[in-house]
Order: sequence, then structure tokens, then C-alpha cells
Amino acid sequence: MLITCPYCGPRDVSEFAYQGDGNRTRPDPASTDPEAWNAYVYDRLNPAGLHNEIWQHAGGCRAHLAVVRDTLTHEISSVRFAREHGAPAHGRRKPGAKA
Amino acid sequence: MSPRRTPSGGRIDRLRTIRFIFDGTAYTGHQGDTLASALLANGVSLFGRSFKYHRPRGVLTAGVDEPNALVTVLRGEVREPNIPATMVEIHDGLTAVSQNRFPSLAYDVSAINQLGGKFISAGFYYKTFMGPLIGPLKGTRFWMLCEKIIRRAAGLGRAGHAPDPSRYERMNAFCDVLVVGSGPAGLAAALEAAQSGARVILAELDPCFGGSANWSGEKIDGEPAATWASDVVGELKAHGNVRLLKRTTVWGYYDGNTLAAIERVGDHKDAPARGAPRHRHWTIRAKSVVLATGAFERPLVFPGNDRPGVMMASAAMRYANQYGVLPGEKIAVLANNDSAYRAAVALAKAGARIVAIADLRPDVSAACRKLATEAGAELLTGHAVIGTEGGKKLSGVKLAPFSAASGVSKGNARDIGADCLVVSGGWSPTIHLASQAGARPLWSDDLQAFLPPEAGKGWIGAGAFNGTFSTAEAISEGFAAGRKAAGQPALETTTLPDVEPAPLDPNPAPVFEIKAKGKAFVDFQHDVTADDVRLAHLEGFVSVEHLKRYTTLGMATDQGKGSNVPGLAIMAEALGKPIPEVGTTRFRPPYAPVSVGALAAERFGDLKPDRLTPMHDWHLENGATMYSAGLWFRPMIYGGPGETIEQAYVREAGATRETAGIVDVSTLGKIAVQGPDAAEFLDRVYSNVFSTLPVGKARYGLMLREDGLVFDDGTTWRLGEHDFLMTTTTANAGKVMQHLEYFLDVVWPDLKVHLTSVTDQWAGAAIGGPRAREILASCVTGTRVDNEALPFMGIVHGEIAGAPVMICRLSFSGEMAFEVYSGAGHGTHVWEALIEAGKPFGMVPYGLEALGTMRIEKGHVTGAEIDGRTSARDLHLGWMLSKKKPFIGSAMMDREGLSASGRLELVGLISLDNRPLSGGAHIVEEVDTANPHGSLGHITAACFSPALGKYIALALVSGGKARHGKRAHVSDPLRNRFGPVEIVSHHFFDPEGKRMHG
Amino acid sequence: MVEQLSPLEPVFRPGSHGNFVDGVGVTLSEIAPGSIVQLAAWPGEEKKLMATIGSVTGLKLADGAGTGASSERYTAFGFAPGKFLVSDASEGLATAFAGKVTAAIGTITDLSHGRTAIRIGGPKSEWVLAKLFAVDFALAAFPQGSGISTTHHDVFTQIQRSGPDSFDLYVFRSFARSFWKMLCHASDEVGYEVR
Repeated sequence: MLITCPYCGPRDVSEFAYQGDGNRTRPDPASTDPEAWNAYVYDRLNPAGLHNEIWQHAGGCRAHLAVVRDTLTHEISSVRFAREHGAPAHGRRKPGAKA
Repeated sequence: MSPRRTPSGGRIDRLRTIRFIFDGTAYTGHQGDTLASALLANGVSLFGRSFKYHRPRGVLTAGVDEPNALVTVLRGEVREPNIPATMVEIHDGLTAVSQNRFPSLAYDVSAINQLGGKFISAGFYYKTFMGPLIGPLKGTRFWMLCEKIIRRAAGLGRAGHAPDPSRYERMNAFCDVLVVGSGPAGLAAALEAAQSGARVILAELDPCFGGSANWSGEKIDGEPAATWASDVVGELKAHGNVRLLKRTTVWGYYDGNTLAAIERVGDHKDAPARGAPRHRHWTIRAKSVVLATGAFERPLVFPGNDRPGVMMASAAMRYANQYGVLPGEKIAVLANNDSAYRAAVALAKAGARIVAIADLRPDVSAACRKLATEAGAELLTGHAVIGTEGGKKLSGVKLAPFSAASGVSKGNARDIGADCLVVSGGWSPTIHLASQAGARPLWSDDLQAFLPPEAGKGWIGAGAFNGTFSTAEAISEGFAAGRKAAGQPALETTTLPDVEPAPLDPNPAPVFEIKAKGKAFVDFQHDVTADDVRLAHLEGFVSVEHLKRYTTLGMATDQGKGSNVPGLAIMAEALGKPIPEVGTTRFRPPYAPVSVGALAAERFGDLKPDRLTPMHDWHLENGATMYSAGLWFRPMIYGGPGETIEQAYVREAGATRETAGIVDVSTLGKIAVQGPDAAEFLDRVYSNVFSTLPVGKARYGLMLREDGLVFDDGTTWRLGEHDFLMTTTTANAGKVMQHLEYFLDVVWPDLKVHLTSVTDQWAGAAIGGPRAREILASCVTGTRVDNEALPFMGIVHGEIAGAPVMICRLSFSGEMAFEVYSGAGHGTHVWEALIEAGKPFGMVPYGLEALGTMRIEKGHVTGAEIDGRTSARDLHLGWMLSKKKPFIGSAMMDREGLSASGRLELVGLISLDNRPLSGGAHIVEEVDTANPHGSLGHITAACFSPALGKYIALALVSGGKARHGKRAHVSDPLRNRFGPVEIVSHHFFDPEGKRMHG
Repeated sequence: MVEQLSPLEPVFRPGSHGNFVDGVGVTLSEIAPGSIVQLAAWPGEEKKLMATIGSVTGLKLADGAGTGASSERYTAFGFAPGKFLVSDASEGLATAFAGKVTAAIGTITDLSHGRTAIRIGGPKSEWVLAKLFAVDFALAAFPQGSGISTTHHDVFTQIQRSGPDSFDLYVFRSFARSFWKMLCHASDEVGYEVR
């Protein structure tokens, strides 16, 4: 599998580290709402189809990337720098929605 | 002249004679021969014994689909089993042996299995050996009894035990167009793609390019096909943008058009070229792939179809035309399609007598009749072979009238003497790679075969792969595929090349099996018969995937290249369904067996990446025993003559507490945290506050994970207003870096902070002990190191022996200690200066064991205690959890479960029986050796403490502090170690820290 | 000033090795620049940083990922968004940039001791490097002067194309000896000269 890093170009998947579900939103740091934190730390989407994921180009420029990947075909339809794009490309999960 | 070698012809070099050994007998062959063709030329017909029944087997094919003629190739002490003789190129000194026979190929004692064939039918293993012990000869325990005998009797070649000295290598390649297969279609595709400027790789699994052009006997544009092919290869070679890979099997098609291939670089040579690998593994990332992988001819299923001398028609033709070898002198033909007639003519031309052509079809075309006449053969339409004669070698065939509609023979059988029977049951396109790429094959009623669907996302097919069996059309498809793959628009008009002779009708009769008495094999390599398939059906296995697993049909190393479709057809008939409704199994990588060496390639022994500290060579020269910690190598002890590990570390730790010791701490993870928001960032990632840390001071910091558990610890030094040097534990350096980068990139992209791994920039030497300061003072220039200039956790800059150093006064050993950092390139220089300065004081270098001992004495935690399950409070580090600010983990760390009573807490243990303790042992209140139970926790680290003169340990124990002063026991049934311990504070030694504060 | 000790020292064997009967396919050498720094710009400040690199080294960096240039004395290339590796045959590069790369522009990290620079040159350079890295080394895909970051197993490597058939590889010092051995092993087949 190849992932096209926006900086480095297409690179082998072995250079990348999967960094988890890209749909999560970290609660306000001052928040002590256990529900919100629990959802952030433990709940993960596991869709059959398009999925927002965070990958790090750990063996390259080390940037974190917001990747939209189809979990059924491994096809990657979008790769962007995570830091420049807070919102995932494939629509954010609705607040309060269960994984 | 060997008995079966034709007097002329073939693409072998008759001037070069090659000597090789098979089963202890010396033979000769020619350059260009395979082991199969050379042995056939020598009149050898028996190549091996079959998997279950030990039936004699010969050569069925001439290629990678060979199920019968599997041999073990010997190279020195190394054995490589299960190699098709059809894929072994002979070379001087080649030594091969046949397989699955005892004591010899000709006289095999297990051949008696044939008589008891019924006992080893489909599901034999499941029925006999699985489940409870019911009778005396059933069940799992019976299996355990029989396993050794069966494993010897059944199976393929035996692997060796000798280490393989060959080199293996991995290679990466990128191209616009990868063409798999170099038959006429593949060559055309490669040429067209290359001419449009694309970067092309052409992979051919055989030793020479050309595929069928090497043996079809056709003429392309007036030239012999083989000449046409070599001309095209010549043109391709002239292109700078083409890489030609022969002996290269593309075996895997993965996501993103990444393909795996194995190039057999050295197997055909007596000795590999210097530095050249035996196998080179290619990972090819292709923008587009042209699949021109051809097709396999299918065997027919009839009784005795496995007798040596039975061969695929195309294979026989290939032996005659490409290798100049006749597989027999009196050859009979059995076919359900036209293609075998060409083979008959070729064999007749090469000098064989074609005794009969039995065609399963009631009638054949005029073209076929003409070819039969040309071959001088008696043509028997509507006839089948219902049996074969001979022992280890075919002597005759039984022919009988046959109805293609019913699949049954009727009427009187007739015996015909023949030493070879060539068979054609139609053709199956080699769609394996397309199937791996996700294509669902489509059944063609005309061709009675699974065809690839429309071109996939990354690939285009051409030639016989597509079911296009006319060479002219295959070439035309190749050109079109090459253009398309290179991104060129299709030509409006195409002209077919001129190919002679004209193509025959490619459609076979839909007959796969001739039902008659006797064992009729579907899967030759796994000895699966037509009756086995029907038995599986009777027993309720109706899904093709279940059938495959129950009978093991198609699961041998040939992956059912020839047997899949006949097996499906018989299953479909049993189910009363058409073949496409039964479906087919999906092909998986590898297409053909791959050497594990090529996959492992260069990551072993001396070639695996090691990390060495700047002082590595000094450690080795000074008697260190090295210890691998992750990728790092660190001194474990500097053992003296005759010293045990324990004696050495006790001496090293004792001397450090007595006078001074020095240890290499270069492996600690070091991260430069720089930028205007660096302090803010550290406040967020550490549980304690760093923004208040003055420049020139260090602070111990604790990191939690988001879930509130402890992640890592270390000291962070403020070198400037915006410039921090963070240290992490050696083992966690990479993880911490990734964790921090994640937060900067994904969670707080607004923070102006840069992170850089500077672990390798610095050499670190920690020098500690009562005399450490004096030693340092005697060699440092440019700064004072007294308490005033360098207080606890202070940082100063100076020089040692002319090299700049940065010194921080901090202590892991609990002694008055200093970490001296210099540029890594100066590390040994500074280290040697420190060693020299320490000599008058009796300073010793110490290793990881002594370091661990002193940290246990001090109760400092490391990875053994920070195990992903412990909270800061469990480790008595609750004081480091700031209440003034949120930080990573602060929201989750107070969850009920993390503050529940009874959690495992850090304690110290003292062995009361004066015997060593070891990590992993459980702590219990009462010892019960017979039934160990009631664990209160476990030991995380243990040592002999020279400071206390006792065996001590750190442990995580339920109740923790409340148990201080109480007795408990270790319970370690694995090591049979039970005994009393006292639970104490984890601060064994100098709990007030007087020594380090000085 | 104390000289840096090369991590390659015990395994650095000048001369011809491997299958060099038909000439050497590659030449391997340690570059040992006097100083190496990493310069990193805050988002939006990249142009200013590139201009600063130009003013100190005289190297003109074009826009775009992996841009790079080199002169007799200096080399510079981008290896990550906003990040550049700059080397100088002489010592003191960090000092030269201090005050010029201000806190408003970005950061300077001295890596003079932390990275080992190895040059591979010769007609078989691309072939040998392709054994180690899953990267397209063809000139069209990897133009002269440009840089990349990649990994061979765990060995993080920054690579600049220093010529039509030569590449400069920057590896972590602790991995350098191991990496050198792998590079020599991979070069065996084509014959190599160490100098």
C-alpha cells in the first residue's frame, strides 16, 4: 500500500505509523466531564467504508496526516496535513453520537 | 546421444554439455535444459512418489504448474525441497534427489498405501484423528501416537537443518508499466509502453523471454516466433527506460499496485557471482500493470491419469520444440479440444510415432482431421482413455468409445501400446494475480474456463490471460494494453500481425472427467481423486471453500494450478449446478513458492540495525559484557577474571557508593523542545509544572497517558528561555517523541514548538559517588562544580580536556552525581578524561546491572514498574500531579478504578531466607506449593544490595504502604522458589537523600 | 578544538572491495562536515527562513517540498514541512545562524555530532540505494540538489542528491556503523571503493 504524503509524495505504507481514529475531538482540557473524556479516550468508529484516520509519516517527514481510507478496499481518497486541517475530510462525527 | 534427444532442433546449446547428479546417478544435459528435460532426454520417466499413496509419478508439465516431479536440490549441507524439476535449470555440479520415497524411488515400501487407498480418502485425518478417544484406533491421542509415522510416510520433501549460507536481498523498484509475462502479448505490451516513453519493467519467470514463442512453432510476420521474440527483446534492451527481469516470478499483487516478485539470480549457476544474492526479492510499485501471464493447459480426469508417461500435450510439444527432447517414442493423444493436434504434429515432426488421437468429441473439424493425418495418427473421435497400463512407466492405454454428453464410456475397450500419453483438457487463463488484486473471475461457457473480468483499476490484461488464444490477436491485445498502460490513447485502427499457421478453434468440449473404474486424480500433488470430491459432497460439503479444505484439493504447493477447474467441475456435477454457480476460490499470494530467505533478506546477524553509544568501543576494550536493550547495546558489567555477574555488579555498585563510579547514559532519549511556546507545551504534557523552571536548571518530570496511567518519566533541562532538553527513558524514547508530535500536530497545532530527536547529538556520562565532585573538579575547566555554582538540579557549561561539556547535577544512583554531556563525537575523549581523573580516587566504570541495583536500593521506578497499568499514586508519585493546571491524563487519572483501594502499589521486599528473588514472582500471604493462589502482587525487579547486604526487590503489592513491616512470601512455581519476605518501603537506602544533596 | 571521532572508524576500510573485477560500481565515503544544523520555520515563515539560509550560505532554495542546493562549502535541503538540514564544511554553523533565525522565524538545532554524513557515488548508486530504501531514486523523481527523509528498517535517513549519480546520506550517529555495514554489504555485488 502506498500513502501519498503531501510533502514527501507517494511512499510505502511501512514508512507510516497508524495513529488512530481521526474522528475524535479532544474535550476542553479544563473539562472534567467523564462522558466526554471517556468517549474521546475509548470510543472508536469502525466503519465498513470510508474512514477518517490519522497516520504519521514516522519514517519520513514525521508529519501527522489526516487520511480518508476505505476500509473495504484500502483505497485512499484523501491525504492532508493534520495540523492544517482540524476537521477530517470525511465529515466529523456528530457530537454525542455513539461510535 | 541420449535415447530421447532429438537429433536437431530445440533452443538448447548442444555444444555445451553439463554434468549433474540425480538420485546419486550422474547424467549429462545441455545448456538450456531444465532438470526435467535433461532427465527425460536420458530416458528417465520416474521422478517421484505421490503425497499419500506413494504412487510412482513422472513429469506432467514443463513449467511452474508441475504437481508431480518435485525434487530436493542439495547445495552443500543445505536442502531445498519441493522444487519442480521443470523449474530447475541444470548446471555443472547440480545435485538433486527425488522425494517421498523410502528406501529408494524405484522400491518404495509405502507404495503399499495404494492397496489400502480407501482408508486415506477425503477427510481421513478429520475422521480418524479428531475428537474424543472412542475406540482404540481413533481420536486425538491416537493422532499423537501416529503422527511421527504418518509425517514420514506422507508429505513432500524434507527440509534441512543446516544454516543457509546464501545471500538474499531485497530490492525496490518503481515504474510506469510493469508487464508480467513475456510471451508474444507481454513482449508487445512492453515494447509499445517503452516506445511511448514509459518506464517499463518486464518480468518473466522462465530463464528466457518469449513464452510460447519459444515452442509454438509459429511464424510471426514471416519469421519463426522465437526469432520474432528475440528481436523484440533486442529492441527493448536498446531502450534506456526498460528493465528486463528474467527468472523472476511476480508472486503477489498488493494494494496500491505494489507487486512482489522473486528473481532467482543464482540458482542456475554453480557458484554465485561475488556479492550477488541467490534470490533477489523485488517490491515493484507500478503505476499500471499489464497481465500477460498466459494460460495453463488442464489435465483430464480418468483412471490411471497419473502414471509416469502421461503428460500435458503442450508440455510434450514444449519438450520437443524447445528442449529437443521426446517424452516418448510411441505417443497417444487424448483431447477435448483442438490444441492437442498441433502438439501431435510437432511430436511427429520431432520423430515420435503418434499411435492414436482419442478425441472426446463426437466429431472434429476438417482442420483437425488434416493435422491428424499430418501427424500420421489414427483419429478416434468420440473415444476416451479409460485406463493406463504399466508399472512405473506407461506401456499402453485402454481406449473405449465415449459419450461426451454422459461422460461415460461404453462399448468394447481396445488396448494400444504407447510409452507416452499426451492430454489436453482445455486451457485455464492464469488469472491468479488479477484475483489477488480483487477481480472476480467470470465463467466462459465457450472456453469452459474462468476469465478475468474487465480490466481492473491498476491493471490491463492481454493475450491468453484474457482467453485470447490466437497469437495474432494476443499480440494485438498486447500492443493495445501497452499503449493504455502507458497512458496513450488507443489507436483507431489496428492491423493484426501475420501469424502462421492460422489459429484453431479454442473452445473445448465441456468434459472434465472420464468415469471408469480406478483411481482418477484431480489434484496430483495432494493425491485427491474424483471419488474424494464426490465423497466430500456426499458428506455434506457443498461450499467450494469447504470442499477445498476438506479434501485439500488445490492446497499443495502448486496451489491447484491444473486441478482447480476440474475439481470444481466434478463438484458442480455432484451438486447438479452449473460451474459458475458453484463459484471458484480466490487465489492468494504467493503465486508460486517463495524462499523465506528472500523475504527475511538482510535483517539478521551483522546486518540488523544496532545502535551504539559513542563510547561503545571503549566498553568492549575494557572488558564490558554487552547487553542488548532494544536496538541499543549497553555494558551490563565490566567483569573481572572469574567474576560472576552478581559479583561484578555488587563490586561496581559497592565501589560507587564507597568512592565513585561512572556509567554511560548516552542511550537516554533526548528531545530538543524549542520555541516560544515550549514551556507551555511542557506544562501540558508533564503532570508537573515546567514554566516556572529557571534557565540553567533541570526538573524531574512525569508524563501520563490520556487514560490517566503513567507513561514515562525523566528530567528536562531548561537551556534557554525557549529551549529545553527533555530526557526520556531509553526504551520509550521513540514512543514519547511520537506522543508529543501527535499532540503538537493534531491537538495543539497553534503552539509554536519544534521537537527534534537529539539523542545522538550527545554523549552522556553519569559520574556518582562520595568522591564524584572532587573527580569532576579535577578535570573540568571553565566552571566551578561546587554546591554554590552547581546546586542540585543545576546546569553548568565548561570544558573537559578541551571539549565543551554541559554538566547537570542530578542523581539516579542516589549518590552525589553529575551527568556530563558532550558532543557525541567527543564522547570517548571526554569519557577517557573522566576515567583518568577518577583513577586516583578508585572510580570504577559500572554497567546496567549495577545501575539497576542502585536504582532498586533507591526505589526509583523504570519501565518494569511503569508497565502501562500503574497510576502515579500507585508509584507514590502523587506529589507530582499538579492541581494548578490541566495536563494530559489529568481528566482521567481520578477515575474510580484508578483511586480504588487494593490497587497494586510500589513496595520494597527483603528476602528473609537470604536467597535471591526474581522478577515476575508472585507475593502471597501463605505459601501453597501444591496449589499456588492468592497473589497479592508481583516482583518487578530484584538484586543483591551491597548497601544492605541483602537480596531485595521492588514489587507491586495490593495494599502497599499498609503492609510495610509485614511478612509475606514469594510464590514462584515456575522456578520453584518459595520463601518468606518482609514488605518494606521502596526507599531502601538513604531515604532522606542526604548523600545526593551532599 | 578537539576532533570528532567518527563512529565508522573501526569498520572504515579504505580500498576496493566486493566484486570490483569489472570496475567499482560505487564509491563510499564519509563526508564529515564541520557542522550540521537543522533549521525549522513556523508555519508562514518558511520564505524568511529560506532567505536567511541564502544570506548565510549563499545557497538559493527554490520553492517546493524537498528543495535543496549545494556549493563547495555548504549544502541545504528541505526534508519536512518548513524544516531544512544545512551543513557546512567548517564548524560553527549554529553560531552563524544564531540571531538571524529569530524566535519569530523558527528554531536552530545543532546536530553536528548527532548525524553522520555518508556519500555514495558512482554509476550503481541508485541500484545500491534501492536495496535499502523504498524510494524512487531516478533522476526525474529525485532531482539533483533535492532532499528527502526516509527509513531503512529503523534507520531514519535524510538523503540529498548531490550529483547525477551521487547521494549524501545523513543517519543518526548511533546507527551509522550498522548502516555503513549494510551499505557495504549492499555494494558488494557491484564492487565498491571506500575512500
